[in-house]
Amino acid sequence: MSAKRVRLLIWKEFTQLRRDPLLIRLLLLMPVLQLIMFGYVVAVDVRNLSTAVVDLDQTVASRQLQAAFSGSGYFTITRTPASEADLQPLLDSGTIKVALVIPQGTQDRLGRGETAPIGIIVDGSDSQISAIGSGYASQIIAQFNTDRRTSSGAQLDAPGIDARVRVMFNPTLDPINTMIPGLIAAIMMISLMVIMSQAVVKERESGTLEQMFVTPIKATEYLIGKLTPYAALATAQMALVALGGLYWFKVPFNGSFWVVLVGLLLFMFTCLGLGLLISLVSRTRHQAQQAVMFLMIPTMVLSGFIFPIQSMPPAIQPLTNLIPLTFALEVLRGAFVKGSGFEALAVPMLALAGFGVVIFGASIIATRRRIAE
Amino acid sequence: MMATLTRIGAIVVKEFRHLLRDPRMLLAVVITPVIQLLLFAYAISFDVENVPTLVVDLDQTQTSRTYLEQYEASPFFEVVAHGSTLADVDTAFDQNTARVAIVIQAGFARSLAAGEQAQVSVMVDGSEPNAAKVSQAYSVAINQLYTQQLTRQWADAQGLDLSSVGMLEPRVRTWYNPERRSSDFLIPGLMVVIIAIVTVQQTAVTLVRERDLGTEEQLEVSPLRKVELMVGKLLPWTLIAFAEVAMITGLGRTVFGIPMRGDFWALAVGAALFVFASLGMGLLISAVAPSLDTANILAMLIAFLPSFLLSGLAFALDQIPVVLQWISYGFPARYMVTISRGVFLKGAGFPEVWPELAALAVYAVVMIVISSVLYGRRARR
Repeated sequence: MSAKRVRLLIWKEFTQLRRDPLLIRLLLLMPVLQLIMFGYVVAVDVRNLSTAVVDLDQTVASRQLQAAFSGSGYFTITRTPASEADLQPLLDSGTIKVALVIPQGTQDRLGRGETAPIGIIVDGSDSQISAIGSGYASQIIAQFNTDRRTSSGAQLDAPGIDARVRVMFNPTLDPINTMIPGLIAAIMMISLMVIMSQAVVKERESGTLEQMFVTPIKATEYLIGKLTPYAALATAQMALVALGGLYWFKVPFNGSFWVVLVGLLLFMFTCLGLGLLISLVSRTRHQAQQAVMFLMIPTMVLSGFIFPIQSMPPAIQPLTNLIPLTFALEVLRGAFVKGSGFEALAVPMLALAGFGVVIFGASIIATRRRIAE
Repeated sequence: MMATLTRIGAIVVKEFRHLLRDPRMLLAVVITPVIQLLLFAYAISFDVENVPTLVVDLDQTQTSRTYLEQYEASPFFEVVAHGSTLADVDTAFDQNTARVAIVIQAGFARSLAAGEQAQVSVMVDGSEPNAAKVSQAYSVAINQLYTQQLTRQWADAQGLDLSSVGMLEPRVRTWYNPERRSSDFLIPGLMVVIIAIVTVQQTAVTLVRERDLGTEEQLEVSPLRKVELMVGKLLPWTLIAFAEVAMITGLGRTVFGIPMRGDFWALAVGAALFVFASLGMGLLISAVAPSLDTANILAMLIAFLPSFLLSGLAFALDQIPVVLQWISYGFPARYMVTISRGVFLKGAGFPEVWPELAALAVYAVVMIVISSVLYGRRARR
């Protein structure tokens, strides 16, 4: 093992990277773009849904209900059509996402102490909006009922439930606070898998791999020299995302720095191993790229990075345990959002360690065997 | 003319041979879309149901149990554990075994019997914001409904005027997709992402590869004209893209039961225009990118990210910052998702989607012209 040879290899790798100036710029642009995309698109807070109100009652109660909706911040009343039939074209064209229908006689029913139905129509062609929109609507109506009862005053001595709903860990419920920690892990995986797999295959494609093996370089030195530059590059990208998240998006960090560091290190071995394995099974760069895509999409979908695991059907949920990113997300989100320590995160940490040993180990053995051939 | 066709034919045959010679590539082109389709159709959903809930009943009376039944009966909450102390809540939240905790304070039944407000705390784990929002909304609704019941019983018993007990009850209807099946929502959009990946990425790469391998010079000294080379290179991917549109539409209609409410021809025209626009983008990348690696990453940045995130596929576009909304108009995926979803789910035809069709047509023409000019200039050097 010679430190000099390793250094030379690292230097060669960086020189090669520098030769394509567009590539380096793109590699640094990637985390920034993803920060913008995930920060502003995926982690967007659903608010100001364009809403139409059909008020067939035209009473004080119906106007109060409208005010409750528009005052909530979740709904913006943009249209007030005269009849329910007018809703069809508005929803068809996507002008409105939600419609509130207040039937005639609502106030009378309320006055008689009856239960008055209120129609809420949500655009089901957008599942996020339909889920959140109907939840908000129910909440506003519940609040309306409570306000109405308390303001009547007469019933203050009636029994009731005083429920205090408290949101733990992320009181503003801002999705960005869970998106950024996830993005840190995701960007490491993307970057290591895409760039590293390509780098090794490129040597094979251009035949320089054989030249390398007739030099006195040993397999371990080759591996260290090859892995270090990409690990450094991925670390730079992660740091960019973390800084952007903490200072631009003002994501709170409640946990321990060491938890994050250990989690990321364990996960890095998995990513390096995956990159190496892909480059070993692929003969051309094109194949390597397809293999990365092939792994990337299930990883993104099933890890809970964008789509919550909880909403997946029960039959699919066990599958998410096969994906290393799932556990990396658990560690990072746990540390960032909940401030969890090593003890609470023992299970995902061990899982990451397990993945790291198996995948990285397999890739080392496979590389050695390839070199020995 | 005949000679041109023969030469283009030769390139097409050559491309397909490349593809056939590499069974893994073929597998990737055919199998990847099917896997994506399955994943997106079965795994993704934003619906919040069966949120794992921990119950800590410090009162342990018939009354508190009756109250807790409200949660058991609700489809939104699934009581997974019963704790005995407040510390159990911390443990459950730390280990992610529960996302909502309901704590009934001791003396709950006594307070209610005395006509007071009984204390209940509902704790929601905010680390999954969407689920937390919905859980919050529904726990408020459950409590309010229960209070209403209690008040009504009380007023009945006291023989009081019921006027202030009246309440509104939300009746939610979901249009276009009444069962809220996410596959209905995602598959029409997914088609767009799959086409974008196949066409942009593959065309970007096939052309750069020839340059990387040095075979481009060989092609240039052949009697092939540049246009013929381009057409020959793009034709196979056009055919594959069309085959994938047909495959996804077929699988979506038969296996996943996606409705097709609108005009099929509007969709077909849209898909064709979208394929051309994407080919133009791929060509543009291949003209600019100095190496295969760069072409790869550029294709991913231009084809994958915007068509996945800025198209409205899964994330509502009217919710994102205005600047990003403008940018989203700069990528063809947005128009195609609107067309596809309109035709499949909303029963749209040419009269409804013509602005999107026109935008795609303009886009396709502009892209192909720019990229051919750039490509031609580059080849001459």
